[in-house]
Amino acid sequence: MMLVLSRVAESLYWMTRYLERAENTARLINATTQVLLDLPRGASFGWDVLLKVAGLDRLFEDEYSEQDEANIMRFLVTDERNPSSIVSCICVARENCRTLREAVPSLAWERINSLYLFVNSRAAQAGERTRRYGILEEIIERLQAVIGLLGDCMSHDVAYQFIKLGRYIERADMTTRIVDIHAAVLVPRQQVPEDPTIGLLWMGVLKSLNAYQSYRRHVSVHVRTADVVNYLLKDPHFPRTVQHCLDEIEACLAALPHNMAPLKLLRIAQRRLDAMPIEILAPALRHEYLDAVQSDLAAIHAEIAAEYFQLYEQPDAPQAAATA
Amino acid sequence: MNLDFSTYRSGDYYDELIDVEGVPRPWARTLVEHLSSLDGAELNRRRAAVDAAIITMGITFTVYSDGSNIDRAWPLDIIPRIMPKEEWRHIEAGLKQRLTALNLFISDLYNAQSIIKDGVFPAEIIAGSKNFRPQCVGHMPRFGVWAHICGTDLVRDRDGTVYVLEDNLRVPSGVSYMLENRMLMKRVFPELFKLCDILPVDDYTTRLFDTLAALSPRPGERPVIAVLTPGIYNSAYFEHSYLAQQMGAVLVEGPDLMVAADDCVYMKTIDGLRRIDVIYRRVDDDFLDPETFRADSALGVRGLLRAWRRGNVGIANAPGAGVADDKVVYTFVPKIIRYYLGEDPIIPNVPSYLCIDADDRSFVLANLDRLVVKPANESGGYGMLIGPRASAAERAEYRQRIQADPRNYMAQPMLMLSTAPTLAGDGVGPRHLDLRPFVLQSDSLYVTTGGLTRVAMREGSLVVNSSQGGGSKDTWIVEAQ
Repeated sequence: MMLVLSRVAESLYWMTRYLERAENTARLINATTQVLLDLPRGASFGWDVLLKVAGLDRLFEDEYSEQDEANIMRFLVTDERNPSSIVSCICVARENCRTLREAVPSLAWERINSLYLFVNSRAAQAGERTRRYGILEEIIERLQAVIGLLGDCMSHDVAYQFIKLGRYIERADMTTRIVDIHAAVLVPRQQVPEDPTIGLLWMGVLKSLNAYQSYRRHVSVHVRTADVVNYLLKDPHFPRTVQHCLDEIEACLAALPHNMAPLKLLRIAQRRLDAMPIEILAPALRHEYLDAVQSDLAAIHAEIAAEYFQLYEQPDAPQAAATA
Repeated sequence: MNLDFSTYRSGDYYDELIDVEGVPRPWARTLVEHLSSLDGAELNRRRAAVDAAIITMGITFTVYSDGSNIDRAWPLDIIPRIMPKEEWRHIEAGLKQRLTALNLFISDLYNAQSIIKDGVFPAEIIAGSKNFRPQCVGHMPRFGVWAHICGTDLVRDRDGTVYVLEDNLRVPSGVSYMLENRMLMKRVFPELFKLCDILPVDDYTTRLFDTLAALSPRPGERPVIAVLTPGIYNSAYFEHSYLAQQMGAVLVEGPDLMVAADDCVYMKTIDGLRRIDVIYRRVDDDFLDPETFRADSALGVRGLLRAWRRGNVGIANAPGAGVADDKVVYTFVPKIIRYYLGEDPIIPNVPSYLCIDADDRSFVLANLDRLVVKPANESGGYGMLIGPRASAAERAEYRQRIQADPRNYMAQPMLMLSTAPTLAGDGVGPRHLDLRPFVLQSDSLYVTTGGLTRVAMREGSLVVNSSQGGGSKDTWIVEAQ
């Protein structure tokens, strides 16, 4: 077994969680901007939905009085008071990487550092619609370059499992939130099943997850609520579905020592996902299911922290654990 | 416009690259010709490439007073400092001689103390030394070596003589800048490495690994080596992580480690506790072990000294090695070399006056306006008085400090530090510099090829320390042409 410090494992985990969060936020903003252009005047969908999806609506209300596009963009992209803004996420990822410079390829640090310098000087321009797409795409590209580098230039050893765990737990959480967008926006208007707004919205959701093309190829050219939800939650092959993330998390845990407790929690999440009757599920009920899946993911996170990170938190570790 | 060396003069100072007539020294001729052939735009492009790479790579030197911004780019001047190989071989031999003698001296101090009994070294200096650790008395580490990694500061005076200015035996830093500087220069000036015959520097980390591995208490197995850092807020954190990465060692902080009931050192991993064989510590003695030294230290490991004394872990540099890293002890090094090795020192010391000695003290106090006075135990240029540049009030205040604690002060004449051409504005101007080679000792001795050249970037300044706004240059040891 390769030697991985608890502190290092924890930093690797958070570094990729925050990189993933920054990428998801950038995708979400870009997809939403596109959807908004297509919506008819007076549609109930607004920028505030982004805040609800990210679970940041309360924090936003504490900081801003008006929910307009400019404020929401500032809050999601550059605001350092928002720990999940793109700039905050990249800053935290960079601080974690700083403490890891011997554990990751040196080029990864260079790329994260240069991304940090880029967002610090340029991200504010994402407030302007004409420049937003380009800036956010560049951020996404650079984030993918980091992930690609880690995957290609780092040994896929025990330490690497924590990089993947951070990524897939964050991603699964984000996908459940994005799927829940339906509940956040359209519950009161559910009477009209083929409301064209719904179709546009799901198309936006698929695009935000880069899943539109593959959905069309593997499921249907028509965008139906139940089909999209089913695809994004249960398809095992597309890398942003909840099912795929759970499979990856399971594979990571299988490669780690002392994995009984977290694996047990993973199976609970899996059973809950399997049991979801998507065809007949009303948005409100689906919202409850998705909430429960999010809690399951939080429980897996807590167990991973307890199993692998906590030894470091205790100043005098139990001596019984000593092995030479 | 091209870079113009024709009017370059360094006045009263010895210049490393250009002689008093303005003619490039033989080993610098190719470089000067080549740089002169580049037009201003091209040179600026290369300089910008270096600056950008430094920022992107995060080669930074933390400055404590910088507040929220904990990174600061460490400037690299793109004109290298060059030394011919024959001269370097001479210096290299002198550095090996010096470290060998210093390690014999430290072993002696903590054991038989023959040098004191033989009247060569005064006992009261040890009695007043902050860095003499009574906890180390009676201990003899492997190979009798305490200081495994030494950074020796060399300066060249007006007449061309190279002197040792100080021996850094505690936690000397800067070697990563030496390695990174070379990497940057190769990226930006690849053609120069074809034109000139420059000796490589990059085997340092391998030699460092070998030096440390030899200290393992479990020889025969691949040792587990850890670099112990105070953490990311330490000024040399970049270097700690760099060296760990290059050696394939684990970078640890105090709370990552513990000493178990068996007096062995363990690190806390995701798979429980794992034993550590050798610690390259970059934490000062004071903070190393709250059980033995400062009880309030959160940077160290409780029980570490116990584990080391039992022979269960190798520590480099050994606790207590700093006793020889003292500006008063420094003045005795020529005697120390003669006493243990029976040889004359190959590299001379800067002439020094010890304030503990009554005659020297009255000389120092009478000549404060002409001397540089240094406290015995500070490093990084902190707390020293540059007499000719200080105000009368500063000198008066310093006078009182010396009288209150003469053991803690020594003085040297103001050296005419050598210069080298350095980019300044659109042209090139002389800037003062020194040289810090790194010397390794455990089962064998090794000296870096050249070292880190530190340069005072401000015109006329003599302070080269990175913590005080200095920069650096790549250092070339070249085959004579």
